[in-house]
Amino acid sequence: MSETLRNAIKVERAKRDLTQADLAVLAGVTRRSVNAIETGRMVPSVLLALRIARALGVTVETIFRLDEAG
Amino acid sequence: MNDRTEHPSEILQRFSRRNLFVLLVIVLLLGATGIAITLSPQGAIARSSERFAWFIPVAFAIIAGVQTSLARRRWDPKSEEVKLILDDEWRRTNMARASRAALVTVLVAQTPLAWTFGFLTQLPPVRLAFAMALSTITLGLTTLIALFLIFDRD
Repeated sequence: MSETLRNAIKVERAKRDLTQADLAVLAGVTRRSVNAIETGRMVPSVLLALRIARALGVTVETIFRLDEAG
Repeated sequence: MNDRTEHPSEILQRFSRRNLFVLLVIVLLLGATGIAITLSPQGAIARSSERFAWFIPVAFAIIAGVQTSLARRRWDPKSEEVKLILDDEWRRTNMARASRAALVTVLVAQTPLAWTFGFLTQLPPVRLAFAMALSTITLGLTTLIALFLIFDRD
């Protein structure tokens, strides 16, 4: 059984009409980090996940979830 | 919040990638020259590098001049943008991946390099050690920078 981290950053960004660069500024990271997390290439640390959630005004569970496969 | 002006960290990151690419070329050139001189101290490359030795301080002066003219694209470790880039998780992840791969490459390459330099070139021990050191440094740095540039691309 494997677990995959899914995220809803793109959806939450779209709701607020934010670009990746806007979210990066709000979360205090670079746009590349936001892009890497959004496209599933990077699993963020707890600290970064919390910062992104705070920047979007939602809880971590709203934007990140574990999908179990296999 | 939809201002499309580019954040200073974006400009710095792009510029940093260009600098790394230039550094990669410089490392390759210096490494290849160093190995060529070690293998053949009287060869054409050794004679050419003696003739162009004056260019090294000139190159440093040019680099210093370019750095001072960069204004806000300059890499100032105290600036907020540079701190943001250095603390960036994606960058750190990529640097860690590139470092691991470079270490493995350097370790795996030791035996083939020793065979190549030891048996094929019949160098005296001191020059053999120099050739090994130069090739290891060149290979390690080249792998590290090249892989970081590949991993860190958009």
